[in-house]
Amino acid sequence: MMLARVCALVPCLLLAAAAAAQEPYPTRPIALVVPFPPGGVADLTARPVAAALEKVLKAPVGVVNKQGAAGAVGMQSVATSRPDGYTLLLALSSISIIPEADKLFGRPPAFTVDQFAPIALISADPTILVVPADKPWKTAKEFIEDAQKRPGQIAFSSSGVYGTLHMAMELLSHAAGIKLRHVPYAGAGPALTAILGGHVDALASGPAVVLPHIKSGKLRPLGGWGDKRVAALPDVPTFAELGYRGAEFYIWAGVFAPTGTPEPVLAKLRDAARAAVEEPAFKAAMDKLETPIVFKQGEEFRRFFEADARRLGEGVRRVGKVETQ
Amino acid sequence: MLTTDRVAGGALVLVALFTLWESRHLPLGSLRQPGPAYAPVVLALVLLGLGAVLVLIGRRATALAGVGFPEWRHAVAILAVCAFAALALERLGYRATVTLALACLLGVVERKGIVFTAVFSLALALASFLLFDTLLRVPLPRGPLGL
Amino acid sequence: MAETLGNLALGFGVALSPPVLFYAFVGCVVGTLVGVLPGVGPLAGISLLLPATFGLDATRAIVMLAGIYYGAMYGGSTTSILMRIPGEAASVMTCIDGYAMARKGRAGAALAIAAVGSYVAGTVSVVALMLLAPPLAAFALRFGPPEYFALLTLGLLVLAYMSSGSMLKALAMAALGLLFGMIGIDQMTGYFRFAYGIVELGDGIGVVPVAVGLFGLAEILATAGQPTPPEIVKPRLRELLPSRQEWRESAWPIGRGTVLGFLIGIVPGSAHIIASFVSYAVERKLAKRPEEFGRGAVAGVAGPESANNSATSGAFVPMLALGVPSGPIPAVMLAALMVHGVSPGPLLVTQQPELFWGFIASMYVGNVVLLILNLPLVGVFVNLLRVPYPILYPSILVFCILGVYAVNSSVVDIWIMLVMGALGYVLRKLDFETAPIVLGVVLAPMLEMALRQSLAMSDGRYAIFVARPISGALLAGAGALVLLGLRPLVTRTLDWRARLALAAKGEEHP
Repeated sequence: MMLARVCALVPCLLLAAAAAAQEPYPTRPIALVVPFPPGGVADLTARPVAAALEKVLKAPVGVVNKQGAAGAVGMQSVATSRPDGYTLLLALSSISIIPEADKLFGRPPAFTVDQFAPIALISADPTILVVPADKPWKTAKEFIEDAQKRPGQIAFSSSGVYGTLHMAMELLSHAAGIKLRHVPYAGAGPALTAILGGHVDALASGPAVVLPHIKSGKLRPLGGWGDKRVAALPDVPTFAELGYRGAEFYIWAGVFAPTGTPEPVLAKLRDAARAAVEEPAFKAAMDKLETPIVFKQGEEFRRFFEADARRLGEGVRRVGKVETQ
Repeated sequence: MLTTDRVAGGALVLVALFTLWESRHLPLGSLRQPGPAYAPVVLALVLLGLGAVLVLIGRRATALAGVGFPEWRHAVAILAVCAFAALALERLGYRATVTLALACLLGVVERKGIVFTAVFSLALALASFLLFDTLLRVPLPRGPLGL
Repeated sequence: MAETLGNLALGFGVALSPPVLFYAFVGCVVGTLVGVLPGVGPLAGISLLLPATFGLDATRAIVMLAGIYYGAMYGGSTTSILMRIPGEAASVMTCIDGYAMARKGRAGAALAIAAVGSYVAGTVSVVALMLLAPPLAAFALRFGPPEYFALLTLGLLVLAYMSSGSMLKALAMAALGLLFGMIGIDQMTGYFRFAYGIVELGDGIGVVPVAVGLFGLAEILATAGQPTPPEIVKPRLRELLPSRQEWRESAWPIGRGTVLGFLIGIVPGSAHIIASFVSYAVERKLAKRPEEFGRGAVAGVAGPESANNSATSGAFVPMLALGVPSGPIPAVMLAALMVHGVSPGPLLVTQQPELFWGFIASMYVGNVVLLILNLPLVGVFVNLLRVPYPILYPSILVFCILGVYAVNSSVVDIWIMLVMGALGYVLRKLDFETAPIVLGVVLAPMLEMALRQSLAMSDGRYAIFVARPISGALLAGAGALVLLGLRPLVTRTLDWRARLALAAKGEEHP
């Protein structure tokens, strides 16, 4: 009797499974992996993205924080996950840096960039250079001239060696021909605390984080790494304007899926992303974070990403291994 | 004469030597600019010293034979269940893994009745999942069937 | 002063309004639940529930998050006392004497003292926060890598005072813990150390799996198979609250713990666990009967618990006064503010008085709520001890696994807990203390980084440590401690010589 029941169940189950396989994506909750701790830039950008995607795709999209190793843990987990479209990655520019750093140390890379299929770029915040307000440099030119006169004396803080803030400063150093002293900290928060406490002389930072301190007069912005001036700081020139070609750096956030995700799923995700950034709730959330939406897809994104990766790769190789005498 | 202190001291010496061996590839740097190997090497040397002292003066401690391990079977079983949980958690999902782990501990190790084991294991797995995943939004892994 | 009172009145008006009060209450309850879960501490709790606050307005969101933070600190002591499993890393010290008290049948007393101590510390530190925030914050910012290094060295010396057994063994365990802390990416150069290709080890082995493994899992491993079940004296209802003697013994430790914790909490980047370790050591040093520590000394519960609660208010000082993310938890709360369009910074007090004072007032309210929540629950929790151990420990094990996994959604953490549990079990058998290992794991990366950052700042000159006033003062203090510690050695030698001289004299004049 039992056996008969089980035998009757089996074909039903098979039919159901087949039907599920044919059903349009998405049928299950999607995980948007954020390889950084909660409350950071990536996390705060990811949540409105997830909410907007959820509305468009009509399926739950949850943010999963998988932090560690400056993002390598989360990125690796998505790179090796099943490419069925239910695991996505919200990556920052460090996605290009980490494999290069791994190569530098001769270790097997935690992941490679071609393990990911790009979906869309969501935001690209240019970094800006800030110095404590009590320092004598009023313009970028004064800062750079001073740095040229005293190589290795001006100290800057960063979120970690080969991190985004370090690489930004490295690109400027190369373009301007200066040598600065690097004091790495364990994350962007401590780096900001360091400059506010006057322990270092300069910091490359995303604008949203330092804006309140600029407004209250504790920090002074000198220049920006973007191709356009930052909207909230119209008087701050870009390094490109000042003639320092190659000092272009953005803390950008983009959505990726593991390579091998079926094309129809990718297409659906790309369409969804395009619709998501138009959502008023999403725009309002990004406004509150003071992060401008910069949306790129397809060919445009690929060009942006490759140029960025090239600059960063060269930067990492130039920094080389930190020499210890 | 094997005493607890000597065994521990010996183990610490081994750990220190292992650390020194593993640090050989990392640059040592200098006193002015310590490299990645600096701190581990210094600590390993300190541990080596402390371990050696423990071995030398360890005669007065309790003899190893005197330390009983009466609960070692239980301990091994619990560790095995933990290992199973680590392996199965992301493959089978939280609820299935916890049910199986509890069933194993309660039923096999502690020999409680089948009915009690089954009911309790299932109940705790489901209740904790409900409380933490659903109510408190702590993401817990789901298995192949969405379990 | 009058202005402050006026602002406080405004704040209470906000904090006691029903919707805000409701969210504070929800935060406290959730925080307690989260804190009771082994290993999941306030950071994990706040991070997990951050999204739930996005739909609320800024004040309610912050009040709820603060409630979770406080609640988690209160809840963390519960499992520490009842089952010797740290509810969060900072409660490790409470495990030692709290559990010993529970074994003696004084579980209710321990829980009550922890609750009251936390309440007093929380309230007093909020007052300090309110009155002293701006000048303290400016002072806190002056803590750079050299000052930090000096402070941590002082913390390391504390280890010497923590051991109730042989100092040699405690130092060996500390060295082992420091070595464990070396695992991971070297932040200064990018090298992976001792990680063997496991990317998850990049940030180190993490204090949560280590603490839960060394204390919680090791405890289970050691007790589960015992032929006779562990002798836990079941307290009667009358004995649930502390005796007058116990209250008296906890008064000074609570006071000292409050001050210590607050000061340590202000320093950007310090961990709560340092506050509780230092408090434990101080109490031990000042106790009339130091041999009680480790066997159920009331001060060993009162001090650390107060310290880690007042450290939470201390952590808010730089955050509220200057908008500086002084640690991972304030960073998450700052992010919560940013999401709601409130830009944190020195102008927060003037631009958003309702938010600021409402937040402060809600901290008072939160502490009261938690006290009211926790005291009656003492009876409930103590009854958990009546569950037969063979059923209790599998359940605890499940929660340990759940807690350790939840922190980082990482299975590697469970493996670390497993290995640490086995290690803790063996160490217990060999009569070694495991608390120094936890402190070592926490201190090592910070200590090393502070040293190398300082050298990077000063271009390799060690003089930076004494040239800067704060770090110079702290190092002088550390030096004094070392000398004080060596004094018994010196006096014993002098004694010995004096006795020899006397004996010689005695021989001359029989």
